[in-house]
Amino acid sequence: MKIAVCIKRVPDTETRIKIGADGKSIVEDGVKFVLNPYDEYAIEEALQLKEKSGDGEVVAIAMGSAASQETIRGALAMGADRGILLQTDAVSVNPVTVAKVLAAELDGAGYDLILFGKYAVDDSSQAVGTIVSELLSLPSVSAIGHLELADGKGTAEREIEGGVEVVEFSLPAVVTADKGLNEPRYPALRGIMMAKKKPLEVKPVELGDGGMTVIQLALPPERPEGRIVGEGPDAVPALIEALRTEAKVL
Amino acid sequence: MVRPSDSQPKLPIDQLIIDEALSEESLEVDVLFVGGGPAGLAGAIELARLVKADNKSSGGIGEITIGVLEKAAALGEHCLSGAVVDPSAFRNLFPDLSDNDFPFRQPVKKEAVYVLTGTRSIRIPTPAPMHNEGNYVASLCEIVRWLGKKAEDLGVDIFAGYPAEKLLVKGDRVIGVRTAPTGLDREGNEMSGYVPGTDIVAKITALAEGSRGTLAQAYQEWQHIGAQNPQIYALGVKEIWETKTPLDTVIHTLGWPLPNDAFGGSFMYPLESNVVSIGLVVGLDYRQTGLDVHTLFQNMKLHPLFRHYLEGGEMVEWGAKTIPEGGFYSVPDRRYGHGIVLLGDSAGFLDVPSLKGIHYAMQSGIFAARAIFDALKKGESAAPYLAAYDELVNDSYILDDLYRTRNMRLAFKSGFFWGGAKATLMTLSGGRLFGKRIRVKPDADVPKRADRPKPFTPDGKLTFSKVDAVFKSGNATRDTVPSHLIVNESVGEEVARMYASMCPAGVYEVVDGQLRVNAPNCVDCKATDVLGPRWTPREGGSGPVYKRM
Repeated sequence: MKIAVCIKRVPDTETRIKIGADGKSIVEDGVKFVLNPYDEYAIEEALQLKEKSGDGEVVAIAMGSAASQETIRGALAMGADRGILLQTDAVSVNPVTVAKVLAAELDGAGYDLILFGKYAVDDSSQAVGTIVSELLSLPSVSAIGHLELADGKGTAEREIEGGVEVVEFSLPAVVTADKGLNEPRYPALRGIMMAKKKPLEVKPVELGDGGMTVIQLALPPERPEGRIVGEGPDAVPALIEALRTEAKVL
Repeated sequence: MVRPSDSQPKLPIDQLIIDEALSEESLEVDVLFVGGGPAGLAGAIELARLVKADNKSSGGIGEITIGVLEKAAALGEHCLSGAVVDPSAFRNLFPDLSDNDFPFRQPVKKEAVYVLTGTRSIRIPTPAPMHNEGNYVASLCEIVRWLGKKAEDLGVDIFAGYPAEKLLVKGDRVIGVRTAPTGLDREGNEMSGYVPGTDIVAKITALAEGSRGTLAQAYQEWQHIGAQNPQIYALGVKEIWETKTPLDTVIHTLGWPLPNDAFGGSFMYPLESNVVSIGLVVGLDYRQTGLDVHTLFQNMKLHPLFRHYLEGGEMVEWGAKTIPEGGFYSVPDRRYGHGIVLLGDSAGFLDVPSLKGIHYAMQSGIFAARAIFDALKKGESAAPYLAAYDELVNDSYILDDLYRTRNMRLAFKSGFFWGGAKATLMTLSGGRLFGKRIRVKPDADVPKRADRPKPFTPDGKLTFSKVDAVFKSGNATRDTVPSHLIVNESVGEEVARMYASMCPAGVYEVVDGQLRVNAPNCVDCKATDVLGPRWTPREGGSGPVYKRM
């Protein structure tokens, strides 16, 4: 069983994001970067599948700057066997551009399963995994909450509005992991030590012209301060009035 | 009167130091630095370099594995300092780099010292030990992350998110540490993600836990390592502000808002012209049960001197930390033993008059690395082979500096004005006047007058509640971790109120006359460990998440 997990280095969700002077990029200075939280589920699932099957290989693949090596080391510390960094300083916002580079790496490498997080929290495009499956002509199952593999086939559960959808698909395939798929492990101390000795291949890549550019980033509007309209039942009319005329939710 | 030591639980030495079979999951390194701060990382860097150079010249030491354990989820997240940094230890550690390469924000351009009254600020000549020409304003978080990168590049294993919970010993020899388990619920039951502690066995363990290190304390107590004076501490509360009004001066103040019988002062440093590091430090030998450093600090910011800069700005980070203030006479008689050395703040290498500790911590790490390297070369780790570490420290500027100012902090035991006068004479005489050791008691033995804290209502703009403060420390500790604090539950209301005032993070509250403990709020400042409930290591990654402290 050979499994690829495509991962991404993203700003920590707890980080206060500041928009740069150009108005279209974030200030990276002082920002803590982490492994995309959804990718943790993808890595954990790959490790569990490998452990269940008794043998195989889990390869962590990231695209990004040299700093993404640290993110890959994190995956290796969790238990992935080797890493590949598709290195580029260019940033593309077009998911097709990104997917093409990843697909070129994945194509013909003999993976039985390709895992992604359901989306990266930095740009939320929710598209790269699915486009990769299209480029490789593989089945694509997005946002899975449960996965079973047997006899060259996969069965996945997807949460849909008001219920669960169960789908069956043939392998190889591309699946993207939703929250709750499993409980990602902490890297063990031994894992952290061994991660340094695991192979991490760095391959420079060129991004094609994406045909898409960011023209503006904006922070969400600041929440106005709370206000106490009064206390006790007497305040109810004032509250309803405020909800109607100020908040406009009634 | 309340004497804090009367209600203080003892350090549970028998739980902190264990002589038993290793746990199933154990790991071996040659040298383990416990604590990824300036001391531990400088030590790891120096040692890795010495090993590399030795192997390059066929010295035959072979492969030496060096580990650094850090309790925060990432390096730097539990580090807090002023800080105006003396670059000398950086220059010693990185002789090929220039000051511009170091992770400092800017050189000190101007400095001013004020004595404050409630409304006025009187500028006084900068006392000699506080001169900062040639020093740099910096964030310790940033320094530590930078040092961590250097260490990793040299092949050092950095284990962040792994607090050392117990010291492993065999007889009187230290053989490593056990890390804290993760995934326990509030009652201590194992949850689904439970991971037991790992034993890390090392030939030599270097304790660099920082101020009021738990294992360092336990080790000294266990081995009966004394000092001429007990260690005494201060509590610092600090914030980072993004301001509208630029600041170009390193400012220190004395006097208000502290009572005359408390020792301490404030600082305000420009990290950038519009990013300010501001804080208040108070000796824990203060004399009133109701004294609350957080609240004093909040009120302090309303003084015109600070308000001028802060008004219209935004408080972006908050943090708190104790500082070992005892100086020369509180340095342990020996800082080594069988398989162990003590570094940095854990050994009390900090000079109060100049408000410096980072370069002493780093330098002690460098010296320890040299002694460890020589011991490893001989295939030894017993105490006599590590004694060279003490000699290196004793013969260096670390103890020279601490000796010169040996009584200055201690003089303030006699109050602000008389203490200030004595300290001035000490400076003028190079430490010779009043040179005889001033004896001090442990902070917890200094009685406090029972009083009530003054009412304080935060405005949410310049002043903040403890709840808001803890949020701004980045603390997102799991609510269900078992309490890591050893609390004497039977304390009376007066003592409970003292804890509530003392703790800057709102861990202690008095509800219906009873003490309530909100352990997840804890930001690991260790203030109550000095005067009341004991702090012990908890699940890795708990506590604050400092970014530019």
